[in-house]
Amino acid sequence: MSLHGIRTIAVLELRQRMRTSRWPVVLGIWFLIIGAVAGLTWWAVHDQAGDRGTTLYDVVLFFVLGLGMLVVPSLTATSINGDREQGVLATLQTTLLTSADIVVGKLLAAWAISLAFLLAASPFLVWAWIAGGVEVGRMLLAVTVLAFVLAVICALGLMFSALTARTISSAVLTYLSVAAFTFGTVIAFLISMPIMATQQSVRVKVVSDAFYQQTQPGIASQTQPGIPSQTQPAIPEGKLSAEPTAADCVYVNRDQTILHTERTWWLLALNPFVVVADAAPSHKPLKYLGFEPLQMISDGARTARMGTTPDSLNECWPETQPTAVVAGRSAPLQDQQLQDQKQQDQQVQQEQLVQNIQRERLNKVPAVWPYGFGFLGLIGAGTIWVAVRRLRTPIRRLPRGTRIA
Amino acid sequence: MDAAAGIEVTGVRRAFGSVLAVDHIDLQARPGEVTALVGPNGAGKTTLLLMLGTLLAPDNGSIRIAGIDPVAAPREVRATMGWMPDGFGTWDALTVREVLETVGAAYRIAPTAARARAGELLELVHLGDLADRPARVLSRGQKQRLGLARALVHKPSILLLDEPASGLDPRSRIELRDILRQLAASGATLLVSSHILTELQEIADRAVIVARGRSVAMQDLSSASSDQGSRQRVSHWRITSLDPPRLMAALVHHGVATQPLTDAVDVEVAGDVAASELLAVLVGDGIPITAFAPSYGALETAYLAATEDRQ
Repeated sequence: MSLHGIRTIAVLELRQRMRTSRWPVVLGIWFLIIGAVAGLTWWAVHDQAGDRGTTLYDVVLFFVLGLGMLVVPSLTATSINGDREQGVLATLQTTLLTSADIVVGKLLAAWAISLAFLLAASPFLVWAWIAGGVEVGRMLLAVTVLAFVLAVICALGLMFSALTARTISSAVLTYLSVAAFTFGTVIAFLISMPIMATQQSVRVKVVSDAFYQQTQPGIASQTQPGIPSQTQPAIPEGKLSAEPTAADCVYVNRDQTILHTERTWWLLALNPFVVVADAAPSHKPLKYLGFEPLQMISDGARTARMGTTPDSLNECWPETQPTAVVAGRSAPLQDQQLQDQKQQDQQVQQEQLVQNIQRERLNKVPAVWPYGFGFLGLIGAGTIWVAVRRLRTPIRRLPRGTRIA
Repeated sequence: MDAAAGIEVTGVRRAFGSVLAVDHIDLQARPGEVTALVGPNGAGKTTLLLMLGTLLAPDNGSIRIAGIDPVAAPREVRATMGWMPDGFGTWDALTVREVLETVGAAYRIAPTAARARAGELLELVHLGDLADRPARVLSRGQKQRLGLARALVHKPSILLLDEPASGLDPRSRIELRDILRQLAASGATLLVSSHILTELQEIADRAVIVARGRSVAMQDLSSASSDQGSRQRVSHWRITSLDPPRLMAALVHHGVATQPLTDAVDVEVAGDVAASELLAVLVGDGIPITAFAPSYGALETAYLAATEDRQ
């Protein structure tokens, strides 16, 4: 393998693509689609309070990855067997170029084109950054990981095009394996959940029966309380709402199905979406507002990794902090409207508090993406190795159906 | 590397699964000569050329190209060998000149030198006018010529040509013959496979006949070459006359070995001098001769004999 050889192939590939395929058109359509998605997202969140950039960033990056996984396999999936069919591969193999030159050159050319797609989407990421809420470092990490994922997909297509004789087979195999990474890992994870689940007695922190009898006398004793009823009856003295306090929390032993996702979370880590999403999240506590797909995926994966902890067996959320916050600015409010507003604010704060606690717990879970990153790296290196071996000449064992020249 | 060694193939065998493509081929191609590889379809010619072209490893036997084993050191072989496959494909989007420059880069020739070499070769194969047109507009014959130029980019001393003349118009065919003869004259080893026997007889110094994966005969084709040795060797001539019975009678009378054909007679004489003497005698006898030319039937006869058992 030599730099000169790799460059010769990469230049040859790029030159051919520039002239034959319609990828400038595809790039244009790509830009318009991402633009439309970004525009719609902005339209949905532009009048929201707080950092609107996080939603925009999340949605754009999610779509870039999703569409990228549709476009990128086509860059390499027919690269080698297509050349064979045209009778131009053997003429390169009889020159001083090595099989590694050919494979790596083709990979770099395809990757350069997928980076062009990434570049075409970058204005929308800049837009998200300007809108605020996303750190530049995070964004760069996410884009780097995304570019890496695309390179691995390129390598995957290259391997299949080296392995199969017919271009249609390699294209199908490439898309199938991309689908296996995307959906297969999630399906495998979901199947693993009931398999790994155990029935066991656990200590759960719940709201005491006494609290419910006090606030909702009509309802009978509960050992498994759900969400407190929306129509809240008489608010007890000294409480702003019918929310339990720390004093209302008790521990009970309960037989429960425990999902041991901490044993199978790595299945999710193999998913390219999880890898990018987990490297990407804006991780802004208290600003969990709209549709943030990457944030959701990342949270899901980390929740799975965390598994069942004493924290997740806590079903009693005392309202300590909001009371303090509200007390801090408790000027006498006469107006009914203000009173309502205050109550609403408090409710939002309560919800955010719960989310904040969850977020803090999730942030303590080690990141999931480095595992997937490493795994995809191994896949990428492995596929390149297979492709290089497959192009090595003189051939000793010729697989059925493949041509040489 | 030993450029004087040419190509040496001994007992080569290659099977694809249960199909035996090459059973046992022995072959020798010497520097300064054009060696023809002839045989029916499916005789194993292309498989043999793939093995010589460093793309396929033989199951058995040995190959030496310029003294080097292509299985052990393919790179060294590639540096000295030019290969023109049958059904040559090009990068359609590139211009004719770019195709040659790219091949030059693949042989690690510096860009300026590669550009100069491309220009030279385009002149040689008469594609100068089309140099800046995309390769996809070329006709089959033009593509074939580009294929030849491609094989010559790195000035190889060994050339493997698989059906180089297919699709060529008559003028290009003659030009191809001249180019190949020139290369041989400059000391290169050429191995040419073809179906067109008469044409090979014009180009080649010797022929190897391959049938059913075996090399069955090695034929010396002295007629095309003008070296001294050929003048003494037995040669075949074809004579046509306005009066065939009289011609036959005269030939029998002079004791010449004949082989009558429908509209002519093939004779066997001992060298060029004897042939010219025979012509003088026949003309002296007043026989109306219209043609007296070297017969290319020798290769044809050998070929037909070798491939008689074709299924």
